[in-house]
Amino acid sequence: MLTPKELSGLVATLADPHAIAGDSLAPGRSLWSDARRRFTRNKAAVFSLALLILVSLACVVGPWLLPHAFDSADWDAMNLPPTWKNAHFWGTDDAGRDLLVRSLIGGRISLTVGLLATLASVSMGILWGATAGFLGGKVDAVMMRIVDMMYAIPYLLIAILLVTILGREFYLVVLTITVFSWMDMARVVRGQTLSLRSMEYVEAARAIGVSTPRIIFSHIVPNLLGVVVIYTTVTVPGVILTESVLSFLGLGIQEPMTSWGVLIQDGAKVMEVSPWILLFPAGLLSVTLYCFNFIGDGLRDALDPKER
Amino acid sequence: MWSYTLRRILAAIPTMLVVITVCYLLLHATPGGPFDGERKVSAAVLANLQAKYHLDLPLWQQYLLYLKSLLQGDLGASFRYADWSVNDLVANALPVSLVIGGGSLLLSLVIGVTLGIVAALRQNSAEDYLVMLLGNVGSAVPSFVMGPVLIIVFAIVLKWLPAGGWNDFELRFMILPMALLTFINVSTIGRVMRGSLIEVMHSNFIRTARAKGLPTRVVVLRHALKPALLPVVSLVGPLAISSITSALVTETVFSLPGLGKLIVNGAGNRDYTLVLGLVVLITVLTVTLNLLVDLAYAWLDPKIRY
Amino acid sequence: MNLAFKQTLCGVAIATALVMASQAATIPPGTQLHPTQTLIRNNGSEPETLDPALAESVGANNLTRDLFEGLTANDSNGKTVPGVAESWKQLDATTWVFKLRKNAKWSNGDAVTADDFVFAIRRFVDPKTASTYASTFGIFLLNGAEVVKGSKPSADIGVKALDKQTLEVKTAFPVSFLPELMSNNNLGPVHKASLEKFGKDWTKPGNLVSNGAYVLKEWQVNNRIVIEKNPQYWDGANVQLTKVTYLPIEDGHADVKLYESGENEWVYQLPPGTYEKYKVQYPKEIRNAPMIGLRYYSYQTQDPAFKDVRVRKALSMVIDRDILAQRVTADGQAPAYSVVVKGTRGADVTPYEWAGWPMDKRVAEAKNLLQQAGVKPGTKFVFSYNTSEYHKKMAVFAASEWKTKLGLTIETESMEFKVLLKKRHDGAFQMARNGWVADYNDATTFLALVRCDSDQNNNFNCNRPAEALITQGSQSNDPAKRHALLTQASKMIMDDYPIIPLLEYSLPRLVKSYVGGYSLENAQDRFRSKDLYIIKH
Repeated sequence: MLTPKELSGLVATLADPHAIAGDSLAPGRSLWSDARRRFTRNKAAVFSLALLILVSLACVVGPWLLPHAFDSADWDAMNLPPTWKNAHFWGTDDAGRDLLVRSLIGGRISLTVGLLATLASVSMGILWGATAGFLGGKVDAVMMRIVDMMYAIPYLLIAILLVTILGREFYLVVLTITVFSWMDMARVVRGQTLSLRSMEYVEAARAIGVSTPRIIFSHIVPNLLGVVVIYTTVTVPGVILTESVLSFLGLGIQEPMTSWGVLIQDGAKVMEVSPWILLFPAGLLSVTLYCFNFIGDGLRDALDPKER
Repeated sequence: MWSYTLRRILAAIPTMLVVITVCYLLLHATPGGPFDGERKVSAAVLANLQAKYHLDLPLWQQYLLYLKSLLQGDLGASFRYADWSVNDLVANALPVSLVIGGGSLLLSLVIGVTLGIVAALRQNSAEDYLVMLLGNVGSAVPSFVMGPVLIIVFAIVLKWLPAGGWNDFELRFMILPMALLTFINVSTIGRVMRGSLIEVMHSNFIRTARAKGLPTRVVVLRHALKPALLPVVSLVGPLAISSITSALVTETVFSLPGLGKLIVNGAGNRDYTLVLGLVVLITVLTVTLNLLVDLAYAWLDPKIRY
Repeated sequence: MNLAFKQTLCGVAIATALVMASQAATIPPGTQLHPTQTLIRNNGSEPETLDPALAESVGANNLTRDLFEGLTANDSNGKTVPGVAESWKQLDATTWVFKLRKNAKWSNGDAVTADDFVFAIRRFVDPKTASTYASTFGIFLLNGAEVVKGSKPSADIGVKALDKQTLEVKTAFPVSFLPELMSNNNLGPVHKASLEKFGKDWTKPGNLVSNGAYVLKEWQVNNRIVIEKNPQYWDGANVQLTKVTYLPIEDGHADVKLYESGENEWVYQLPPGTYEKYKVQYPKEIRNAPMIGLRYYSYQTQDPAFKDVRVRKALSMVIDRDILAQRVTADGQAPAYSVVVKGTRGADVTPYEWAGWPMDKRVAEAKNLLQQAGVKPGTKFVFSYNTSEYHKKMAVFAASEWKTKLGLTIETESMEFKVLLKKRHDGAFQMARNGWVADYNDATTFLALVRCDSDQNNNFNCNRPAEALITQGSQSNDPAKRHALLTQASKMIMDDYPIIPLLEYSLPRLVKSYVGGYSLENAQDRFRSKDLYIIKH
């Protein structure tokens, strides 16, 4: 028979994970600090994060610090290679506009569009895929057939139609890109969910009677994080490049505003004549995308629930 | 599993119908028609053009006429390529795109999965970063940059390969376009494979296999690979579809007579029948590939049941 | 002698001279020919059809020009030479008679007769055939306008076979350049029996029966078209090239890359911004010649923003076309200050008087005009153009000129081509990018852009007095009088500033130095493969 004091002591012990787990739980360790530690172990990821922050800062602040406006054409200074004269550090394009400023301004657009469209399409994709994969059966069938249908409709048609009906605002570019980009994530997530829902802990949760949305959010989604994070960082470059295709069609960023996609496309055309027009924006884009890739890999490693 | 397959194939029919209807409406809602040209045509000629192609009938009637000929296997006549039927155009472009797109996807799978495995097993080491650096070139450098660079290096400077064109499946015309598409797809597959394999390697059954003393190679290939491939396989469907049907940049840069060009030009020219015909084809391909992928899920993960 | 008779004599003399000239060899003496006479050239796009009646684009016409031959033809210098017709004469102001040569044959051995032309021309203008060029060329022939509209049957068109070898052509009004007009393959013959036998498939290789220097060997859509020498062609002895491969590459950069790697011997057109570079890199292969075409911007003259002619004049004045030509486009084009371009016959080029002023003076005057019209700095105008590297460059320049010189706010919107076309046709624009390449070498092809009730007028302008002058000139029998009237009308219309003329077209391209027969005098860029040959290299 336990005394009240012993009983309360026992309850306190049972309630204290540290007491029960003993040494296998190091003191003061939370899941997030674990993740942070694992992330920082990945040197490439840390370096990339720093670089990405640097690039973003440059894009936001840079244009204010530089002497040229992004849209001032100078017909006497067309196609100049990088030079100290006139402070055209990255040279000029075929209208005499400073390439450095345009690259940074372009970065603002590309990064914003990239992040917003990715966020939107990833959210939509996860919700769609997890729901379909978890509920299975007829619901899964219908939802995935809708995904099939979205793949089959040529995106060009939708893009042209959206422009002509709705207009050319910035948020429409984001909308149009999102419409084409959520399906991949949905399929990937659905695949993972199909696999996860037959795991023991999910069956256990069901057995106890946890509600379906609760299961999806508390058990399925966290275990999807790894794949989702990777695929998100696969989506970002796709989104940024899709934006350049849309500009090519006449939807989206209108002259004189520009984006990395537009700059690179113009640069690719004259790469043998004025290579800097391609190299600088393309370099900036590549660096950014590489950063996203390494950060993504690092995040995935960090958030892996099975990692020790 | 067979009943599942049958159900999926049957489900393809309403899918096809919905897609065709949506595209049909989209096409007709888009401003500009197939006969709008720099040279404005006289009213009488326009009336005759529209009569010739049944465009003067009410929309729903045109729609039904189209469905009727579709059932007979006739995709109609193209507006833009007036001497050719859509059936001919699709039949000529499909093999080119299948070989280039499908072939490069297979290559990407092999290379990407290998790279992913190597990187995963050497996680966070210099090899990992190096492999990922190389593998991700395709996702960081846009195709309309890489393509011309490949041409300049291999066709113009080294003169080893032609700068483009197509001649009845001659190998030398296929190498560079497939290389370009492979570059692009390898990065996606590699990264997903790496992440997925790392996750799988930490699971209990792998730890058990290792504890049993099995060599790493056996552990990876016999036990870890199948479940790790799941997310990769999820991608195969969409990657295959986009490599086969949306390789516009590759086809433009290498002057290939493929499907991407047809569909983009078709939309731009408001070539209703051509676009709808291609949509039918893409739907069939999509449905088939996604079905195969879903069946592959069941093979890869025995716990998945349909 | 009255004027009409003098003209008839003139016509006869010219026809005779031409007959004599056509037998001259195309190859300069002493030239050594390469043993393999084949050519690979880029056609710029996949042809929409090989049916000469329906052919519209430059690419399709390049092919029909090799496969088919009309009454007359164009040589490499743009001169009209005999084709199937060995001679012709003008009987009166509106009647011509063409004598066909006896040895003209179809590729299957059938003789080419006047009936083939009658059948083909009737088919061409028949509204049921729905050819988009029917009105462009049809209006010149008697009853053409009515047939195209559908108010008269196609049998009423003014062509008649007097016998198997003689074709009579009646025009709706005096057309001094009718022989040149008949060189267009839309007005050329087609083989009736194959059409009836094969129906829609008559243009496929194996089915196509042609009367030109070449037959159709192979046609792979979006890949290549191969034509081979026609053994039945009457002038086969003078045809050097045995095989020509046409590529359908639209992307200028891909085109040049194929040229540089050896798979292409004739670039269609150099992409923008590359002319200077290739001029230096391939000095013996670079070609650039003016072409009769005009790059211009349309004003929506009914839009409130542009109702005042002073506004239209001001915006046109301040654009520095010299910088535009020499630095922005930098590919050998010439500034244009009139709707008729240099090299066009039938009217003079009438540039604006301010074209010669220094830019400062022009800007000052323009500012003055804007002030008078009540347009303040900062006023917004919208400029629409279709997405293309080239048009974008020009648009950026124009917008910057209007911004920096007049302080206006310019919104440029790029859009897909069909969307722009719709806007232009509907008048849903303020200023729009536009362009025109001549269908035939006469001023009326350009005047059509600015005439009342013209299908090609996107500017919604109409100057009735000038219209009357043009009609009067067209009916006139006297070429000099017609020339004067058209010139006067052109000046009158342009003083209304319905458009902003900018540049005269040119065609910068790369052609291998061993391709003989290429001429820089070909103002419409119409080459026949039979006039080309490969020099020993």
